Amino acid sequence: MRGLRYALLLSATAVVPLAGQRPLTVTGIQSLTFGTLIPGIPSVVSRTDAVKSGRFDVGGPHDTQGRLTFTLPSVLTGPAGATLPLTFSGSDAGFSQSQNIGSQIGFDPKQPFLMTFSGQGRGSVFLGATARPAPTQRAGSYTGTITLNLTAFP
Amino acid sequence: MYTASKAALATLVLGLVATAAVRAQGVNGSITATATVQSPITVTGAQNLAFGNVFPGVAKTIAYSDATNGGRFDVTGQGSAAVTYSFTLPTNLTSSGNNLPIGSWTGYLNTANSTAGGSAITPSATPAGATLSAGGALYVFVGATVTPPSNLPAGSYTGTVTLTVSY
Repeated sequence: MRGLRYALLLSATAVVPLAGQRPLTVTGIQSLTFGTLIPGIPSVVSRTDAVKSGRFDVGGPHDTQGRLTFTLPSVLTGPAGATLPLTFSGSDAGFSQSQNIGSQIGFDPKQPFLMTFSGQGRGSVFLGATARPAPTQRAGSYTGTITLNLTAFP
Repeated sequence: MYTASKAALATLVLGLVATAAVRAQGVNGSITATATVQSPITVTGAQNLAFGNVFPGVAKTIAYSDATNGGRFDVTGQGSAAVTYSFTLPTNLTSSGNNLPIGSWTGYLNTANSTAGGSAITPSATPAGATLSAGGALYVFVGATVTPPSNLPAGSYTGTVTLTVSY
């Protein structure tokens, strides 16, 4: 019977974090927007730019950790398949437990980042980048998809 | 006891499976990155400002509206875009170290290749604003006056007029 109680105790400990916790979520909130670019002139969007920076909101079990990884495009794609180079520096991403753009911990979006959910099980991720149109860049609209992956560590 | 142990083991296995499922949990979300690239600006010297033969002591004016001798620049860029333009203007045409003064610059801006329906300007180095046509065109016409001194040596006199346009 002692073995039974021990096993039940172990199994109960393992399952408890599933109960009553926020589910893991990643929501794309705001696009990363460069606006109008002039051929040959790079354009930088800061992760602290409230209007142009990209933003994701994440949710999960409060006070637990998660690993963030990005899937980043190296180019934006435009008319007739034309490409516009896009680069990310070592501090172009930022995490805010308080979901405040003015209170971020910067990190390299090309590397995994270990985050901790707030006491309310929330957080926000902000992203900047640099677009580098060539002097002969074809005119038109360019787009790309940025994906944020969140893996939980209960 | 044997039955109890099997039940405990089964419960433990289920618990570990549940734990493993939690560890494997991952989600993702996406946003879009967007940019709009404007057409590059091109400026082409389409027609020279040509005074032809001039005589010492006799000023000669070429109007911007002179279809044959007036100077013209053709500009292309992003449709309907605002641009700034400025000129670099010579004060003399030169020939073998001799100067033929040039001045009294006149000009005209139009989104069509015509000296009607646009706006008169005074070419200068001071930046001014203009708007390209919906199709991204702008035509800039220039005229000027040369004032040959009475002792001007004969020769072929030239100078360069530069138009700079930017978004």
